[in-house]
Amino acid sequence: MITKVSQVNITKFLFATVSITGFFLFWDFAAKHLVENPFILPSPIDVMAGVEKLFTGYLGGNIFVHIRSSLYIVMIGYLFSIMLGVPLGIMMAWNKNVDTIFSPLLSIVRPIPPPAWIPLAILWFGIDASGKVFVIIISSFVPCVVNSYLAVKEQPQELIDASKTLGATRTKQLMEVVIPSGLPTILTGMRIALGNSWATVVAAELVVASSGLGFLIQAGYRNFEANIMAASMIAIAIIGFSMNLCFRLIENWVVPWRENQDQF
Amino acid sequence: MTETKNSLQIKNLGMIYQSQAGAVTALDNLSFEVKESEFIVAVGPSGCGKSTMLKVVAGLQAPTSGDVFLDNQKILGPSPDKAMVFQNFSLFPWKTVWQNIEFGPRINGVNKQKRTKQVEYYLKVTGLEGFENNYPRQLSGGMQQRVAIARALVMQPRILLLDEPFGALDAMNRTIMQEELVRIWSEHRPAVLFITHSVEEAIYLADRVIIFTRRPGKIKEIIDVAGEAGKEHWRNMSIDDVLTLKNFQKLRQKVWSKVRTEIEGNS
Repeated sequence: MITKVSQVNITKFLFATVSITGFFLFWDFAAKHLVENPFILPSPIDVMAGVEKLFTGYLGGNIFVHIRSSLYIVMIGYLFSIMLGVPLGIMMAWNKNVDTIFSPLLSIVRPIPPPAWIPLAILWFGIDASGKVFVIIISSFVPCVVNSYLAVKEQPQELIDASKTLGATRTKQLMEVVIPSGLPTILTGMRIALGNSWATVVAAELVVASSGLGFLIQAGYRNFEANIMAASMIAIAIIGFSMNLCFRLIENWVVPWRENQDQF
Repeated sequence: MTETKNSLQIKNLGMIYQSQAGAVTALDNLSFEVKESEFIVAVGPSGCGKSTMLKVVAGLQAPTSGDVFLDNQKILGPSPDKAMVFQNFSLFPWKTVWQNIEFGPRINGVNKQKRTKQVEYYLKVTGLEGFENNYPRQLSGGMQQRVAIARALVMQPRILLLDEPFGALDAMNRTIMQEELVRIWSEHRPAVLFITHSVEEAIYLADRVIIFTRRPGKIKEIIDVAGEAGKEHWRNMSIDDVLTLKNFQKLRQKVWSKVRTEIEGNS
């Protein structure tokens, strides 16, 4: 088993290396020979210069100032989404009345793509953090609710029965059996929500902001610096990837009993 | 009926399901008794309602008609004095072996010191010492079922309900677990209601075997195994030895032919 898994991983790694290298070679070729205009398609080298510029300082601070600004907004909005969404999803699945009240509201909100809220949120809460936090809550609250709801609905009846024969009251069944057994599904929802938060903050900063990674892209656009735009996008990708990775590690730590432990 | 301690009485039990095809009778006027410390095994064809009966006794399902009494008290819902062991073990996968066994005492408010003693005792009785920090998925089927048995026994039930507990095990583990169950059970000898598909398992373990008809489940016959086995019940010997005994083989043949007519239908 172990040798098989590592063989698969090595093959995957090789293919990943080949495809990424191929991508960069094609990009470089296209920039130098097909487009030949750094304002439209900067070459990898141009982008590296952009990265360097971001590190030394660009429009009100170096890249870490902007990263901190974006992450700060994400974390506030994300924490609110979890605190509201997870309990609501659990209660909707556990109690019919809660479901009846909130389901219609959710079905109205769900089809609206979260970025559509950005102008309205700015109108209501201003161009500071609070408007963006609102849009992040809208975007990441829903996956928290939906997955928590599913986690509680998809209960193995036998485990509940087992707890009943051992004397578990209904509250104990919820706290001791239903929620722990649904935790992997709940965490998946929280991970999706984290990705949504990150995407949403960038979108909101593109519309209006005075700092943040979305703001950097917008600034690059306004100043005809495509390499700044690309460098900011790389930063966004790296941070999004790291957040997902961190969350996976947290999942493995919180639910070590899961069957499919090591799937990334 | 006479008053006996730790006995289970099933009286005129009936169970009718409403399905799209109309009403389906799962259990039809079922009556019998499990006496104190008695080991009763129910056998019968698949879908004859044995498991339904066990769920009713556990208090997990309400019967359509009839009653179940434990110590002359009507069973109205599940409670730890009739602990159950399920075919698929039904262990909590997020809890270690220790936490699984501790679950019942803990949620019933037994203090930590006392329940630690209880868990330690049942770990020992069920041969699980050294595995207390493992998660269920790290154990073999046989070991998992030991945990499930320990989790039920730690509640010191008046009756132990087992729903095809060894059905998911391979033949070798099944034999070992049958002998182990006898050993574990002998420590306190609660009344037992055990359900199985295996005639051999039934007459090896049981004081009395109840043969079910096919649906709607009724009692076809009750076999006094303890009487047939004689002074020393054959569950106190190893299965390998018992399988060679003439009277065991004869009884197995007799019970099997009765079950077989029910499976084949045209009796």
